[in-house]
Amino acid sequence: MDYSENSPKIKRETKNKIRVEFERTSWWTRFRLKYLTGSSFVKGLWWLFRFVLLLGVSYVILQPFYTKIASSFMSREDFVDVTVKLIPRHPTLDTYKAIIVSNGYLKALLNTTILSVSCALLQTLSCSFVGYGFAKYKFKGAKLLFALVILTMIIPHKTLHLSLFMKFRFFDLGIGKVGLLSLLGKIIPNIGKWQVGPISLINTYIPLFILSATALAFKNGLFIFMMRQFFRGVPDELEESAYIDGYGPIKTFFRIVVPISVPMMITVFLFAFSWQWTDNFYVNTFFTSTGPKLMPNIISIPKSLDTDYAGKSLYEAAIRNTCGLLILYPLIIVYLFCQRYLVQGIERSGIVG
Amino acid sequence: MTNNTAVKQAPRKVVSLDKRKAHAGWLFVLPFVIGFIAIYLPVILDSLKYSFCSLKIIPGGGYELTFVGFENYQKALFEDPSFVQILIAGLKQLVLDVPAIVIFSLFMAVLLNGKILGRAAFRAIFFIPVILSTGIISNIDAANTLNEYMGSAAGIDDGSGSSTVTQIVSLTDVSWLFSSMQVGTELLTYAIQLVNNIFNIINRSGVQMLIFLAALQSISPAIYESCSIDGATVWETFWKITIPMVSPMILVNAIYTLIDSFTSESNTIMSYIDSVYNQPGGNVLSTAMSWIYFLIVILAVAVVAAILSAYIFYQKRD
Repeated sequence: MDYSENSPKIKRETKNKIRVEFERTSWWTRFRLKYLTGSSFVKGLWWLFRFVLLLGVSYVILQPFYTKIASSFMSREDFVDVTVKLIPRHPTLDTYKAIIVSNGYLKALLNTTILSVSCALLQTLSCSFVGYGFAKYKFKGAKLLFALVILTMIIPHKTLHLSLFMKFRFFDLGIGKVGLLSLLGKIIPNIGKWQVGPISLINTYIPLFILSATALAFKNGLFIFMMRQFFRGVPDELEESAYIDGYGPIKTFFRIVVPISVPMMITVFLFAFSWQWTDNFYVNTFFTSTGPKLMPNIISIPKSLDTDYAGKSLYEAAIRNTCGLLILYPLIIVYLFCQRYLVQGIERSGIVG
Repeated sequence: MTNNTAVKQAPRKVVSLDKRKAHAGWLFVLPFVIGFIAIYLPVILDSLKYSFCSLKIIPGGGYELTFVGFENYQKALFEDPSFVQILIAGLKQLVLDVPAIVIFSLFMAVLLNGKILGRAAFRAIFFIPVILSTGIISNIDAANTLNEYMGSAAGIDDGSGSSTVTQIVSLTDVSWLFSSMQVGTELLTYAIQLVNNIFNIINRSGVQMLIFLAALQSISPAIYESCSIDGATVWETFWKITIPMVSPMILVNAIYTLIDSFTSESNTIMSYIDSVYNQPGGNVLSTAMSWIYFLIVILAVAVVAAILSAYIFYQKRD
């Protein structure tokens, strides 16, 4: 063989090992040619710009949470001390203790957990059901129905505040004063002790369960839209093969479609859960002060904390924020577990279509 | 052979596959249909009815309605001292906010879509507001003096808690910078408002960011590759490829943002309507107000949809 000066030299070291020797261009030259050019300089600048910007916006998002957390550990003296800002000087757990004990936090936690989990499960199920119907089946009136779904999103809740209350205060299946139960009540006035007629569902979870099961609760139009877009991306062949194997539509949905759409359903569940958790409107509408204790009810200044001093306004703001934090802590834990599904589910939904 | 026996055993009507699929479709949307007919439609009609009536709840149970015609609407529009003013101010604010939110969320989605150090962490942080800053929490935040105090460098609490107004940039600081350029002060004030409002805007653009991110992910990398081979810069690629490809989602997001800000609880109009609801005898009046508001919402959504849909590019798929 012909070895010129720069060509690699192959040496046989042992039976199964060879060694190739060649002269590499020096590290510095390679580095210079690869990274010290104009375009990679621009790229680096752009990278830096992006990174700094994202860092800044992250700061804007996280900073309020940090101030809330910091102030929740501050004691009374820290609020009059001007030099104490972001780190408490006399850290204390008194605020937490007072809120948990005198505002009935644990009871509210239990009630809200039951309510939110069951509502979110119902909403996830009903919205994916309805979304599947819109995505995969063509039937007369589908477009009109979908327009109605959008309509439920557009109508402000406040428009329905009074009538939702009236509907469930005098619950009956019908319009106005003509309803199934009151008609029944005219025929049979009472069964045993129970008087037949419109019933009050205020202060029970039933109104929210009904709304969730029929996909009418908070922002369910959005959930139906998201699920519909996701199911559109599921290939039809999958279901066709299930039909050929003898599955009906319902069985196909539960056995074939649901297992592959778990990330998206977790996304919807997460939204439904957290929006129900922090919900204020429905709780105000369907629950009065005599009803079960829920999260919005715990926001008040506990009497055991003496707030009457110079830093009053700040201290009270801090207490209210601590109440908010106590509401948020369970949500943060849920979010930490579910957040990777959030992006995944949406990414796979292929919403463009 | 088997065919014959099957026909004999089950002499039922033959239903075509399309029809059967249509039935299945109805089955799936049934929960919504039942809910809409049994709950939502009556509620809407009742609400419309209440807005034309005066309502009295009888202590023993039951209620009494008397028809009063357009009185509630008249009260809302002409007699109530602040409703019309708040309505106009709120609408103005929305007109300014909606484009800012859509543009911001698109921009952030583009940034989050690129390869960057700690992308997963950034994404997790950016979607925190969607989950955590809603409902009660935004209500608490709306009247929060604590944040301003903590953010300020040397704030002194004078008892009111509002002495420490912190702004990221102030008009006087910036105006000399732009004084040589021929931009009106209105534009400058708008930009400065946006910068100072950045927290609010970030908080409200979470879902939109998610939707844009999904749209960006669905653009085929092959298109970008061919662009870079043809020598297009990142800037050109953004305007010629990214924007047209995500334009359907711009429409969706604009409408979503519009609806979201119209119906959010922190909205000034909404909170005013809410406060009217809690006044004695104000419940029917607030219903009338929210119907007026609803008509405006529908009108705004229609106008935005009409304007934007003229500029949308739909990728044709075979």
